[in-house]
Amino acid sequence: MRAVLRLIEYDLKNFFRYKWWLAGLISMNLADLLIMAVVYSHMVSPEITEQIRSYFSFFAPGVTVVGLFASAFMIGREVNMEVRRQIHHYMLSLPITRFELAFGRLLAGGLRGMVYMSPLLLTTFIFVGFPTFPQLLTILGALFLLATGISGLSIATAVSTTSFEKFVTARGLVYYILFFCSSIFYPLSLIQTLGQEGIMPQPIVILAELNPLSSGADLIRSFLMGTPAFELNMIRNLVVFSLIFVTTATYAYMKIVERR
Amino acid sequence: MSIIQAIDLTKRFEDLVAVDHLNLSIDSGEIFGLLGPNGAGKTTTVLMLSTVIKPTSGTAVVGGHDVRKSPTDVRKLIGICFQEPKILWVSNPWDVLNWHAKVCGLSTQERKRRVKQVLEDVNMWDYRRKKVHGLSGGMKKRVEVAKVLIQRPKIAFIDEPTAQIDVVGKHKIWNMIRELRDEGSTIILATNELYEADRLSDRVGIMHKGKMLVCDTPKTLKDSIPGGDIIEIELEKEAGQSVLKELNDFEEVADLVSLKPNKLKVHLNRVEEIVPQIIEVFLRNGVPMRSIRMSEPSLDDVFVHYTGLTIEEAEQKSPSR
Repeated sequence: MRAVLRLIEYDLKNFFRYKWWLAGLISMNLADLLIMAVVYSHMVSPEITEQIRSYFSFFAPGVTVVGLFASAFMIGREVNMEVRRQIHHYMLSLPITRFELAFGRLLAGGLRGMVYMSPLLLTTFIFVGFPTFPQLLTILGALFLLATGISGLSIATAVSTTSFEKFVTARGLVYYILFFCSSIFYPLSLIQTLGQEGIMPQPIVILAELNPLSSGADLIRSFLMGTPAFELNMIRNLVVFSLIFVTTATYAYMKIVERR
Repeated sequence: MSIIQAIDLTKRFEDLVAVDHLNLSIDSGEIFGLLGPNGAGKTTTVLMLSTVIKPTSGTAVVGGHDVRKSPTDVRKLIGICFQEPKILWVSNPWDVLNWHAKVCGLSTQERKRRVKQVLEDVNMWDYRRKKVHGLSGGMKKRVEVAKVLIQRPKIAFIDEPTAQIDVVGKHKIWNMIRELRDEGSTIILATNELYEADRLSDRVGIMHKGKMLVCDTPKTLKDSIPGGDIIEIELEKEAGQSVLKELNDFEEVADLVSLKPNKLKVHLNRVEEIVPQIIEVFLRNGVPMRSIRMSEPSLDDVFVHYTGLTIEEAEQKSPSR
């Protein structure tokens, strides 16, 4: 346990070494919310606005999840760089087990996502409304599951790609699929309607429904706005996503990194 | 008593056999020099012994633990100074060493004391808050060496400790490595610097193309070269045939060449034992000596003897991983 805490300390310290970059990214996310979402609020048809209160309120949880995703995914960039520069040899030589090493990095990645996401979540609460205490705990628990899953996905991608170029390409692919086939920018109900009308391909609709980013954003919306209605499926999606990628990343980090 | 034992240790990277059935025994409390050109398999051997990478076949017992079966127990006993400094470039020397000491389980007080002490010892105290990416290659290497010096492990693997470090710094680091040994640590020193291996090592193992060619004390290795020692003798007058025959009759003399009528070059072994007898031959035959100059073989000569190549030639021919 102590080793895991040391690794979390290592990764959090490294995370805060990029403090100006992080400040820039958070500013960009807030600009997305305060400029883009405000403008879009006036562009979206009244029919849709009825379902989502306002685009600004709808998008605020989405931006929170986007911030969480981007920051939790950063751990992969560092792991990939460590492998390329063979700094991972140092990590592998430390007096800790391979499992502690993999699990520590994974948790650290998730925590980094939570830390980065906090000001965005707070902004959402301020503008959209505050949850009750149990709802807050549920939101934080769900987002932590999402963050560790993303961290796992990122580490698995990082150790499976041999060059930075391949890692960046894989990261871009994951970003596009998970961001745009989700309910971050558009309501899931709208995507489903478009699917029924044959405008949106069914695979995209299914992906949007299963997408953990959709579940994370919609869970916050359900507690803060009452729409969409809370469903256990949201939690289930997050648990499954987290379990799959925590397991995959732990295995990949333990096995693949040792071979390099 | 043996603290490290490698048994047919082998590492293969696709078609390249980096380490080929290595058998090795390292005694507790010695500085063991792993000498060889770049690409000889030294670093791969260190990485396998320290459980960083897994052997393809064979195994090793380090501090009583098998590297395959109990790698975590092995890692509790060891510390490594890597050939290339393994430091995240956004950190600074203080944070790097402080975190390393924490992971190695040093108490807060002891950690702060040792980190400060070692940073001062390796002349990095003034740069302790400077970002690693702004440090020179030599400074980064000092921080890498400092990790082991702070940790003071039972078994220390030190890979090319003085690469990119200036002469004064080299001597300082050599002294610190000796101190570490004197405190009871076993040191495995991987190097391609012959002088460093000769000066520091209690025993040297010479590696080439993944194989251990020979392993012994530097002196024994040098003495093992037939005619490795050379003396040049300048005489007051020409030595007669009978004198030359008498010199040739010493079993330690491998070759005798007349450079000039009054100047001889003798290739021989165990120079320190035989020179008094050679002087005695000249004096007894009434041939006064003007000067005598002795040169010992180096580990480079040992390497040439066993491989037919100088260490530089071997480096040029070595396959890259």
